Amino acid sequence: MIEIKDTSFDYVKGQNTLDHVNINIGKGECVLLCGESGCGKTTVTKLINGLIPHFEENGELRGKVTVAGLDTAKAELYQLSCHVGSVFQNPKSQFFHTDAESEIVFGLENSGTDPAIIRQRLDDTVRELGISSMLGRSVFSMSGGEKQMLAFASVYAMGADIFVLDEPTANLDEGAIQLLARLIRKCKTDGKTVVIAEHRLYFLMELIDRAIYMEKGRVVREFTREQFSALTDSERISMGLRTLTKTALIPRIDHGQQNVPKGLEVRGLSFRYGKQKVFTGLDLNAGYGEIIGIIGKNGAGKSTLSRCLCGLIKESDGEILLDGKRLKDRARRKESFLVMQDVNHQLFSDSVTNECHMSSEDVSEERADHILSLLDLADFKDKHPMALSGGQKQRLAVATAILSGKKILVFDEPSSGLDYRRMESVSSMLKKIAADDRIIIVVSHDYELLNNICDRCFCVTGEKDQ
Amino acid sequence: MNVQKTSTGKMNGKELITVGIFSAIYFAINLVFMVAGGIHPIIWLMMPAFIALCTGVPYMLLCAKVPKTGAITLMGLITGLIYFATGTFTIVILLTFLAACIIAEIIRKATGYKSTVGNLFSYVVFSVGMIGSPLPIWLFRNDFLTQIREQGMGEHYVQVLDGLATGKMLVIMILLTIICAFVGSGLSKIMFRKHFEKAGMV
Amino acid sequence: MLKLDPRTCLILLVIANVVIFIQNSAVIEIVWIGLLLVLLCICGAARSAAKLAGVFAGCMILQYIIFPIAPKAIVSIFFIFISYARKAMPCLIVGTLIMKTVSVRELTAALLKWKVPYSFIISLSVSIRYFPAIKEEIGYIRDAMKLRNIKFADKFECMIVPIMMSAAATSDELSAAAVTRGIENPCEKTSIIDIKYGIADYICIAAGILFTVLAVVIR
Repeated sequence: MIEIKDTSFDYVKGQNTLDHVNINIGKGECVLLCGESGCGKTTVTKLINGLIPHFEENGELRGKVTVAGLDTAKAELYQLSCHVGSVFQNPKSQFFHTDAESEIVFGLENSGTDPAIIRQRLDDTVRELGISSMLGRSVFSMSGGEKQMLAFASVYAMGADIFVLDEPTANLDEGAIQLLARLIRKCKTDGKTVVIAEHRLYFLMELIDRAIYMEKGRVVREFTREQFSALTDSERISMGLRTLTKTALIPRIDHGQQNVPKGLEVRGLSFRYGKQKVFTGLDLNAGYGEIIGIIGKNGAGKSTLSRCLCGLIKESDGEILLDGKRLKDRARRKESFLVMQDVNHQLFSDSVTNECHMSSEDVSEERADHILSLLDLADFKDKHPMALSGGQKQRLAVATAILSGKKILVFDEPSSGLDYRRMESVSSMLKKIAADDRIIIVVSHDYELLNNICDRCFCVTGEKDQ
Repeated sequence: MNVQKTSTGKMNGKELITVGIFSAIYFAINLVFMVAGGIHPIIWLMMPAFIALCTGVPYMLLCAKVPKTGAITLMGLITGLIYFATGTFTIVILLTFLAACIIAEIIRKATGYKSTVGNLFSYVVFSVGMIGSPLPIWLFRNDFLTQIREQGMGEHYVQVLDGLATGKMLVIMILLTIICAFVGSGLSKIMFRKHFEKAGMV
Repeated sequence: MLKLDPRTCLILLVIANVVIFIQNSAVIEIVWIGLLLVLLCICGAARSAAKLAGVFAGCMILQYIIFPIAPKAIVSIFFIFISYARKAMPCLIVGTLIMKTVSVRELTAALLKWKVPYSFIISLSVSIRYFPAIKEEIGYIRDAMKLRNIKFADKFECMIVPIMMSAAATSDELSAAAVTRGIENPCEKTSIIDIKYGIADYICIAAGILFTVLAVVIR
């Protein structure tokens, strides 16, 4: 079904993004591509769906890729699109219409299919994937997980025999991951071919037939499912892979102490939009140098809580105290910082150094240098923040927070889409800044990360769940 | 396989989508001033100038990202059509916008799409297209005058209207828009140097 | 509830524009606006119709009753404004009709029927889909700015630069999703939205033409 023969690819000459790769995938197989970030697995997915060479115009491709009998270099993308359906990493940027139906039929309408057949396919897709609850809804009201299901449904409707998924769970929570796993299982039982590049592996262990491990643009090892699930933890970690089994949360679930003299204390915090309650009566506390975790289902109000803690929105009820003193929303803004999941929204300057000096008027050269080297950014001082990697941007945002003297740092999903090594380095960064006498609050559904960094977690239960 | 980006031929899917996204941003900035124009008629008259001041960045980025015929016309058509379809504008804006876009497009084509000066002048022309928004005031002039007389409001108001909707005022409005377009394009040049080029975006 | 063909709405919009440009009689204007408001009601947007009727009545009251007795300084500022608002009424009504009763997919289906180039339709629908995303984006950036005490002079830059950066990234990602779903297929496009002219559509268009003629004749 898919044959990649001695293929190399460079985005920039001499970079060896892919280095003489050979992969054969038969019909009906479900294959995992794994390896650290930058190992070339996403590039392989682009070879299969034809984005290379048709979309990445500046790269250099050598070798031959045949998919469903078509030579991808010679076939047009729209011809390939009838055979290969692709789901990408970012749920926000894969849809064209604002309603679910239009989105599902988008591909079919593009290929000029007869409207009667399209309607039939729409009904079939909705029934077979069990997504009737999505119909008639605006895409903007959907969670990330629902958006990914919709993206999946729209390629499913096109009747592709090959599904290529590029880190589809990077931004998803546990519930959404299970839904996606269900769709993959459905494809498998239908005899479709599935290729999935992922960092999160545990939910795939029963689905895959084979795993291909890549390193620096080469295929290093291939495993059968049995061999792959037999990997020991130390082998897996040395390969830089995330956990293969579902992880349980180790830190204890806490309920907050009253009247702590030092540090942050939240008493009976409630928030509502108009009459819509988001959460009520939340208690928590955190000391200097401590890292606490915030968990909770999607839509339970974790993001609202982090915005409220940072003073970006006003609490409806309850109070927030720092060192025993009550802080109103404006005062909280001066003491706290939110490192967003998409850190691109919070870097404004034209160089790393200027970004640091922007955070406060009296930042001395030495202090900025010190913090930058603490966060491994000293080598990039003159670079534009947007030219940095994702992890570097995240650390730069942290640097600005520390330099402006903020005591409370809230992190929203700091490990989304990260491989094992990068998750570890986020952990060690969090520990390092906590040791600098800060209060660290990590909102996450990544138990592997939370187990690494904290002893206590607080659970937000939304009003809808109760 | 090494396909160089060319400035000829039709726009491909990616370029069409880029135009769509930048049009949305252009429209959003436009809308801010449109709403502000509701506060006071003078702001409304100055609106094309304000917009010219602030939309240089999306315009120039679009020029840089889609160096092909039709990109600007498409952006103008989308903006005009959305305004028109929501009934907030008369058909006049569609016409002035289209005319401005076509001239802007010709300037881009003649200067080879990558020229700073060419893009600058195309932006100036494009910005002037926005005068289609307050232009009906001039077109309705006679209607307004009859209305005033009908209502028996006296010669004073005829003079007021004369003072606002004169040819002189129209010239001032256009000149101001042109000046602001120059400044707006200068601003975008600064942003390009400071951010977009340094970040490797263009 | 009446459902008009989206094409009828677009045609009505053009007619509404033409009528206001050539009409010169208050009677024609009021009847025309009245009929459009009734149409808006029949199509299920009675609330909006009532609001617009209120605005129109307000304009008339201001122009005919308040302005003649109000202080000159105030009137001179608002006179043109109110006159213009009154002129723009028919367009606003049809515009509201479109916004309330026509979805984006129906609009694109209508354009497709009219053989509008698909490239234009793609750009237009991406544009419409991107507005809510801009709003979301601005929300995040504002939050970030609040936590970073940004100087007033820098605010424009701090807002526009991240918006542009993310626009560029989104256009890349969206395009990748589009081309792998066959957006570049040169074949004739289809749509599952079935649009047809009905009797109501013909009546509306005929009424529109009638008013255009009346507007020319009655002066």
